[in-house]
Amino acid sequence: MKISVNTEIAFTYLASRKKQTIVASLGVMFGISMFIFMQSLMKGTNDYFEKASFSSTAHIRLYSENKVADTHMLTSFLQDSSVKILTNPKQLKQTLGLNNPYGIINNIKKNKQVVAVTPQVSAQVMYSSGSVTLNGNVAGVSIDEEDKMFDVQTNMVAGNLHDLNRVNNGLLIGKGIADKLSLHVGDNITVRAVTGNPVVMRVVGIYATTIKQIDETRSYANIVQAQNLLGKDRSYVTDIKINLADYNNAPKVARDLEIITGYKAEDWVQSNEQLKAAFKIRAIILNSVIGVILLVAGFGIYNILNMTIYEKIKEIAILKATGFSGPAVISIFLQQAVYIGLIGAVVGIIFGFSITFMVSRIYIGAGTLKYLPMSFYVPHYVEAVIFGVITTIAAGYFPARKASKVDPVTIIRG
Amino acid sequence: MAEIALKAGGITKYFHDPVTFPVLKNIDLEVSRGEFVSIVGKSGCGKSTLLYILSTMDTDYEGKLEINGVNVTGKSLNELAFIRNSSIGFVFQFHYLLPDFSCLKNVMIPGLRLGRLSYKEVEQKAYEKLKMFGVEDLALKSANKLSGGQQQRVAIARSLINDPAIIMGDEPTGNLDSKNTGIVFDLFQRLTKEYHQTIIAVTHDEDFAQKSDRIIEMADGEVVK
Ligand SMILES: Nc1ncnc2c1ncn2[C@@H]1O[C@H](COP(=O)(O)OP(=O)(O)OP(=O)(O)O)[C@@H](O)[C@H]1O
Ligand SMILES: [Mg+2]
Repeated sequence: MKISVNTEIAFTYLASRKKQTIVASLGVMFGISMFIFMQSLMKGTNDYFEKASFSSTAHIRLYSENKVADTHMLTSFLQDSSVKILTNPKQLKQTLGLNNPYGIINNIKKNKQVVAVTPQVSAQVMYSSGSVTLNGNVAGVSIDEEDKMFDVQTNMVAGNLHDLNRVNNGLLIGKGIADKLSLHVGDNITVRAVTGNPVVMRVVGIYATTIKQIDETRSYANIVQAQNLLGKDRSYVTDIKINLADYNNAPKVARDLEIITGYKAEDWVQSNEQLKAAFKIRAIILNSVIGVILLVAGFGIYNILNMTIYEKIKEIAILKATGFSGPAVISIFLQQAVYIGLIGAVVGIIFGFSITFMVSRIYIGAGTLKYLPMSFYVPHYVEAVIFGVITTIAAGYFPARKASKVDPVTIIRG
Repeated sequence: MAEIALKAGGITKYFHDPVTFPVLKNIDLEVSRGEFVSIVGKSGCGKSTLLYILSTMDTDYEGKLEINGVNVTGKSLNELAFIRNSSIGFVFQFHYLLPDFSCLKNVMIPGLRLGRLSYKEVEQKAYEKLKMFGVEDLALKSANKLSGGQQQRVAIARSLINDPAIIMGDEPTGNLDSKNTGIVFDLFQRLTKEYHQTIIAVTHDEDFAQKSDRIIEMADGEVVK
């Protein structure tokens, strides 16, 4: 390979000032490895919380909301344009079920963004076993679809979730319920809905999510079972849960669905507002820390190149006298910055990966969070190198330009 | 008539420190191709200043300068850098070499910059130039570990690497003993006679000047003879 003179001179200067070169590279290395580490930690935590929230929340939930009485009945009765005022309006008594749920589902499926739709019957219940009773709720679902949407399978700690389809009166209970009522797979449990009769069901499986409150209250039953518990017919559905291809579109799709169906469509952003806020705050903290680190690394390079140029000013003059043009001199010094940046980047990637890996092995053991959630995400590494190299080039450019402006005569005359 | 290597017309230069005064006053100069010219004069009469202008390094002057029949006054710095690299060899009065590099590299660098020959060829040629001045043994020695005279000979070797049309020296033999001065003088003479290269050398060495083709004597910023 043919190495240009500029490159050769740049290398010689770096090699003749090993200490400074190493210090400058260390600055860049530190910046890049911190960048990778912080990004990995942030993405890891965000992913963790997002996954945790999606393990129990659909992207959109459609349900019938209690309404306050308004004047539209009066208007349609009187058929005039007078202004009606309702004093002391009351909550309307309404069934919690959706009208024509399967029609709505077919309608929702027409939306291109929707990847999964499943009906659910929610029932407030009391569990009892022996003399102990417990409040909770039963989600009547199609377990296969539920599994597709929320990956119930990974949460299973005992039993088989598909037994819900096979076992008559089967019930999949949270680990909290199992512990409190000391139940095991195969045991019987009495479930009683507020509006129905007690039904004896059989525990076919036990699951544990990351959210304790859910594990202590919720159980899954077949949708038909839930309808039976409530004494309702087969068309009774309380919620429709919808997942989208891209959950970031949820708010917009939810508004559309509200208009089409006339029911309340709650998107995950609304139900997880504090999560979103936490993401934003973390991103701001992270970006300011990274910015400061890169700035410091950049100043390191700037300083060292500036010093080199003061020290080498006579040699720059000689180079220019023997025919090195301004751009050639810029190239010599900019290349030094770039090599410092590249050395720092390579070592920084290795170091950044190492600390990320080591930290991902730190045992936390807080609740269901066993280890610090770290993500190993290749774009972070690419971004780190790009930012690192941009910083070094920016930091190297000004000293390099200064070097290119050296007037050989002034220097050589002495 | 011989070809003109360098032609200067009405070169005038001022320094402004501490007060504005003319260092060079309306200097006219013509040097033919293959000519060996010495410039002599008292210390401080402006010899170095003139040489910096003739070598295109200093662009802050009034007058006209032609090199190899091409007007160089007013050309861009990058164009001038190329002209210096390809057609002018320069030996400095004080600062000589790049201390971080070996002698061989020092000689090679302007050749590599020009890029007309391969690395191997430049290396070969640089080695030959060092040999001409008897410093080939020092080829791989770091340039900052040489004596003043050794440095100067390496610097002369460097000025020849691109076979420049014009070689300018600011007291190129100032640090040399009489034997080495003789070697350098003979070599310069051979370059002018055999290769038609042009030499313009500032010197305080009476002998050296006398033996050259022509002496230009300066006094107080003017050519007097
Ligand atoms: N940067 C400068 N500012 C002001 N005056 C200067 C500057 N450089 C040189 N001079 C003056 O210009 C004059 C010519 O200087 P120059 O270096 O050309 O002399 P010289 O003939 O080469 O002398 P020497 O034989 O000692 O090398 C001197 O009087 C010197 O003091
Ligand atoms: Mg001088």
